[in-house]
Amino acid sequence: MTTATLPQNRIPPSTHEFADIIHRLEAGGSMLPDTPENLMQIIGIYKAYAVPMDFYWRNLLYIAERVFLNPLPAFKYFLPQEYLDLHNHYAGDDADIRIWRGEATAHPELLEFIQKGELKQKLPKLLHHLWHDRINMEFAEACLRAMFWHRGMGGQFDPYLDTDEYKANADRAIRAFFRGNPAMLGLYNLFPEMFLEQVRELSYYANLGLFWEVMAPVFFEMSDLYDEGKISTVPEAMNFLVNGIFAIAGRPIYHHVYIGDECYEIIPKSKGFMWLYEAALPYVEAVFYRTSPFRGTKSYNAQAKQIPTDQNEFHYGILYADVFPVGSAGIPPTLLMQDMLHFLPPYLLDYYSQYCRGEDDMLIQLGISFQRSMYNVTSAVIQALRTALLYPLDDTNSKHLMANRQFFEGQLDRFKRPEARLRDIQQQDYR
Amino acid sequence: MLSTLIWFPVLGAIAIAVLPLRQLKLAALTISGIALLWTLWIAHQFNFTNPLLQFQEYLPWLETLGLNYQLGVDGLSLPLLMLNSLLTWIALYSSEEEIERPRLFYSLILLVSGAVAGAFLAQNLLLFFLCYEVELVPFYLLISIWGGEKRDYAAMKFLLYTALSGALILVAFLGLVWLQGADSFAYDALMGQSLPLWVQTVLLSLVLVGFGIKIPLVPLHTWLPDTYVAASTPVAILLGGVLAKLGAYGIFRFGLGLFPEAWATLAPGLATWATVSVLYGAMVAIAQKDIKRMVAYSSIGHMGYILLGGAALTALSLVGAVTQMVAHGLILAILFHLVGVIEAKVGTRDLDVLNGLMNPIRGLPMVSALLILGGMASAGIPGLVGFVSEFLVFQGSYSVFPLQTLLCVVGTGLTAVYFVILLNRTCFGKLDNAIAYFPKLEWRERVPALILALTILFLGIQPTWLVRWTESTTTAIVATVPPLTQPTIASVNRPVNSPQTVGWVVPDNSIK
Repeated sequence: MTTATLPQNRIPPSTHEFADIIHRLEAGGSMLPDTPENLMQIIGIYKAYAVPMDFYWRNLLYIAERVFLNPLPAFKYFLPQEYLDLHNHYAGDDADIRIWRGEATAHPELLEFIQKGELKQKLPKLLHHLWHDRINMEFAEACLRAMFWHRGMGGQFDPYLDTDEYKANADRAIRAFFRGNPAMLGLYNLFPEMFLEQVRELSYYANLGLFWEVMAPVFFEMSDLYDEGKISTVPEAMNFLVNGIFAIAGRPIYHHVYIGDECYEIIPKSKGFMWLYEAALPYVEAVFYRTSPFRGTKSYNAQAKQIPTDQNEFHYGILYADVFPVGSAGIPPTLLMQDMLHFLPPYLLDYYSQYCRGEDDMLIQLGISFQRSMYNVTSAVIQALRTALLYPLDDTNSKHLMANRQFFEGQLDRFKRPEARLRDIQQQDYR
Repeated sequence: MLSTLIWFPVLGAIAIAVLPLRQLKLAALTISGIALLWTLWIAHQFNFTNPLLQFQEYLPWLETLGLNYQLGVDGLSLPLLMLNSLLTWIALYSSEEEIERPRLFYSLILLVSGAVAGAFLAQNLLLFFLCYEVELVPFYLLISIWGGEKRDYAAMKFLLYTALSGALILVAFLGLVWLQGADSFAYDALMGQSLPLWVQTVLLSLVLVGFGIKIPLVPLHTWLPDTYVAASTPVAILLGGVLAKLGAYGIFRFGLGLFPEAWATLAPGLATWATVSVLYGAMVAIAQKDIKRMVAYSSIGHMGYILLGGAALTALSLVGAVTQMVAHGLILAILFHLVGVIEAKVGTRDLDVLNGLMNPIRGLPMVSALLILGGMASAGIPGLVGFVSEFLVFQGSYSVFPLQTLLCVVGTGLTAVYFVILLNRTCFGKLDNAIAYFPKLEWRERVPALILALTILFLGIQPTWLVRWTESTTTAIVATVPPLTQPTIASVNRPVNSPQTVGWVVPDNSIK
């Protein structure tokens, strides 16, 4: 990734509402202003996010592969040691591509937290669970359900879920899973679509698990590089993500189920579904942009058209989220914020304690930092798409630069609506 | 014993003003705290089955003028004494740590407390008048120095209105003594006066207008919104919580007490006046955009219930009226305190700007929760002290003035309307991100509200603790007044079948 010279010398300045940000993107920057404070916030949050994410991806795969259609999945968040020891494909000595220089098994801070939780006391796992002194998988499930609910966001993975081939694969797995259980098999024969829909959702469990398996080591490595002084600007952080996206783009997305000693390939690797197009882009679209209105923060009246009739126009993702009222119990982003709170680096703890209400509203402050960091991730995705689909930033052809310009303007049009936080994150005192 | 309640705060005020103390707020809190404990001890010693004056004190002073130092407490004044002591402590606690000119501020508050206690205890009309006027100057200074916007205007308006109030009361007192030919302003000596009914009515009218300004009743109220809004939070608490009660107390003690027959004659008019105040206060409150002004107008409405209870003159309604004085003092104090906190944190009192304060992390959830409790208490929701007092007033008044009572019940409904507006806009909805960087609540902001809230709740579920002080005294008062349904003529004789001792005004020599 190269940092370009300003293209405004060759094409007229943008007249877009976000012209300054567009010029910054054209210069190889991010939507997030390049300040040391912003860098510290986003890197600290990447690290705090990566630790629970290391749990999320393992648990998502566990549910997709092992829990599967268990009708009473009361212990689905009780991750067996086998999955904590599962080697990440992008960390450790035996990595396919070693993104993080750390170990391949679960992160040490995560293991410590699983043992003692926030209470710092080793209690029966069930007590930690019921007390919510644990990693909140509810957030991860809310994300995958957003992906599953919006569907049709491009790629081949989603249409594949409606094919006969997929149904046949799922059918084999379902029958194998319920072998010897005539009640469930009877139910399956009565309501096959209900079971198939459950399996489709489980395929999204696998999809998101495989997506986050990549992102966790990326964030860990960024944090380490920042600590070593090797990432010193916001564009450098963004470019690390862009490079990571291209390095990992072809990673297969699949869904395997393990029943007994057998592996059932509901979505085989051979289908060639790629990480970038089948997981990363749908994830960004569904979670960063769309999702659905957070329950409990506002009453939406669909009949009064307070909710867009077209799902494409949903705008309730983290890039639009009003983090202030989200700090209420039971709302998934709050649960993520709660998870991240346990793993904040010391410099970020000190930083938050200096502003607003210090410890009392740290959840909100880190939520805002998370929003900043996700604008940086989105910038990386936009730059990656521009790289893949359009022209280099230092292209000398003014028509190519104009095509880039139009692409950036088109992307930023999505932030024109008043709910978008793009304007807010330009201000350092938005906390 | 009773003198302590007057002189301890006054001496404390002098000490704070002149001694080289460092922790001025702590010193003021200690002084008012001791006064509060002393009041509670008196309450503990108080025989609430006895309707007569208790703990009387007498010192000859200017006997040629008929001015003597006579104090006493009964079921009418004791609850208000407790209210005064509690709200003084609350006002001091809720004051800012870094207030300007702290010596003067704390001294004036304590001076007000002592003067108000003196007015509640005085059993000599001139002594009452002195105490009544003494608190005027400290309040004027408290508003004009530590007030908000338009404080000079508000302080001057307050001064003029209350000076007129004092003048009218003085004229009434002098008229009573001169026309009666009495040689003393002693309260008990002026009881049972033999003036013609029309003279009584004129004098009572002067008393009603004089104290009506202080309460205030419509249309004598125009000083109130400006003054309450301009006053700082501690001063607004004392103005609404204590000073207004002084007006209501004065009407009962000196209007009803000295001119019972004229009172009985005017009672239907008083009930109608009360109803107009209730409805006017409520409807104007609904139209307000400033939450402090809304609370101020609500005060006008709620003071009307007190007059209704007094006008109906049944044992129950009069207990309700006294109970309403206390309930209103507590509720208004918590509302003014919370409005003050909101203004200090958010920087505005504008209903169109405030929103979403219930937000659990970035909002003011505790303030919002207590504001809801205060609003519910004011609207007379069962389980809170406001319900007890309003229920007693309505229950006691309906048989005498059914129409006025029903209209006042409508006023309670209107109270619910403007509090729903206030709470809905202030506490609920979406917190505006652009302004939601409020500082954290401090203890001085939490503790007063919590104490008041717990008191409102406790007295709401255990109203006996509120009415038992008053019941025997108010029953005795009612017994001194001729029935409203009979034609009333002026008489020196007490009504047939009334107690030999005229209730709460005859000294009880057995109690020292």
